[in-house]
Amino acid sequence: MRWGMVIDVRRCVGCQTCTIACKQEHGLPPGQVWRFVADCEVGEYPDVRRLFLPMQCMHCAEPPCVPVCPTGASRQREDGIVWVEYGSCVGCGYCAVACPYHARHLIHEAPGYFEALTPPERATARPERTGVMTKCTFCQERVDAGRAQGLTPGIDLEATPTCAVSCIANVITFGDLDDPKSPVAKLRAETRAQPLLPECGTEPSVFYVVE
Amino acid sequence: MQTSVAARSVELIPATPQRLWGKPAVANFALGGLGAGLYLAAVVEVWLGAPGAVNVASWLGPVLVLAGFVAVATEAGRPLRGPRVLVRLRTSWMSRELWVGGLFIALAGTEVVFPLAWLRYPAAAAAIGLCLAQGWILRHARGVAAWDVSLMPLVFLQSAIVSGAGLLVAVEVVAGRVLDGAFLIATLLAVVAGMLVWRGFLAWPGGPAFVRATAQLRGGRAGVLILAAGYLAPLLLGTLALTVPPAGAGALGLGAILMIAGQVYAKAELILTAGQLRPITLANLTLRRRAS
Repeated sequence: MRWGMVIDVRRCVGCQTCTIACKQEHGLPPGQVWRFVADCEVGEYPDVRRLFLPMQCMHCAEPPCVPVCPTGASRQREDGIVWVEYGSCVGCGYCAVACPYHARHLIHEAPGYFEALTPPERATARPERTGVMTKCTFCQERVDAGRAQGLTPGIDLEATPTCAVSCIANVITFGDLDDPKSPVAKLRAETRAQPLLPECGTEPSVFYVVE
Repeated sequence: MQTSVAARSVELIPATPQRLWGKPAVANFALGGLGAGLYLAAVVEVWLGAPGAVNVASWLGPVLVLAGFVAVATEAGRPLRGPRVLVRLRTSWMSRELWVGGLFIALAGTEVVFPLAWLRYPAAAAAIGLCLAQGWILRHARGVAAWDVSLMPLVFLQSAIVSGAGLLVAVEVVAGRVLDGAFLIATLLAVVAGMLVWRGFLAWPGGPAFVRATAQLRGGRAGVLILAAGYLAPLLLGTLALTVPPAGAGALGLGAILMIAGQVYAKAELILTAGQLRPITLANLTLRRRAS
């Protein structure tokens, strides 16, 4: 089993709903996002193109961030999800400079949006994430909880990452890349989905359909 | 009206400066190289038969390395968890740096208390290991094109030797000792070798992202300063000291300062200016031809 995503850039309108849904799901402090949609203008006139590129952790099969970690806080699960064990991280930033996808974020401090924390901010505060490296987790809690209930991630919304569920244009397809019957594997096979920076040899689990 | 033009590799998100490793990281790399290099230069000086400043290097070298570790610890988000950095010796060059740096501090420090000549060899090996480990830390930073270069460990070793030799020369000049001719020639050869390694790094075939990230080091003001002040001027001053003895101390003192400053500046530029996160590219993207 290897969780992955196919992102159909042709459908993305750059609304950032996935960005906000992720931020809300994980209670991220001001200034922090684990994913964002880049507005890209490429080429030179008259050969040009504009596209919206959702960016996040690629959950690489060969993640360069994991072996460099000096404390073992950066880990990879059997199902391919790359995550950070906050209790072990020293916040040295080595994994962030080892990641070619700009996917890791150090939360130096977690202030609220106002002078004092609001009740919702207090309720969702995660002090264990202060001073350590954070990143997209493929919503592993949702995936694990859903599977425990017999649900199928990528099919059942309750077991699927929030970004995929919230997308207004059905851009993000999540599922098991190793299961040829899964929607994500079929989409990958049917389209010319390609990873970012293949030359880095990281074997990302996130693929993009651009043509 | 739009028509498609052939698919090609395109840059979607440009390179951006990395912000996580700042001046404390520069201090660690610079002081680590300076301390280890000083000790190596002192061992070479002894090996060449000069009385040398190995006694000074035995305490000053470890102090500089330790100061570098303390400096970089201030940059970590959770510095009190520092000892955990020791646990991933098998995979992480940061763990290895701390282990080998600690070994160097312990061995060279022991030499201060128990002046046993044989201790110098494992201590010198640990000093070399520290320089290489620091280079390998950057080599495995795959997100930064200017660092992800196979030559990086050698770049760090040469930088440490040049800056350490400069510090040793400065110590000798301040102590009023006449520098051994053979050591001076060895120092000049190290500067030449260092310059070749540095130029080799800048000419590395690292792709467009590497070329752009290191442009300032190659042709900009920083590049000229590093080459002229860090390598060429010390070579000139060292040669002057060899050929015109009355100018010796002054020329050597200035040359030593330039050797140290040049290497510290080179590392600062490497981390702070050339430290650009890789641009995000896509191998194949069809562009649209827009007719006006």
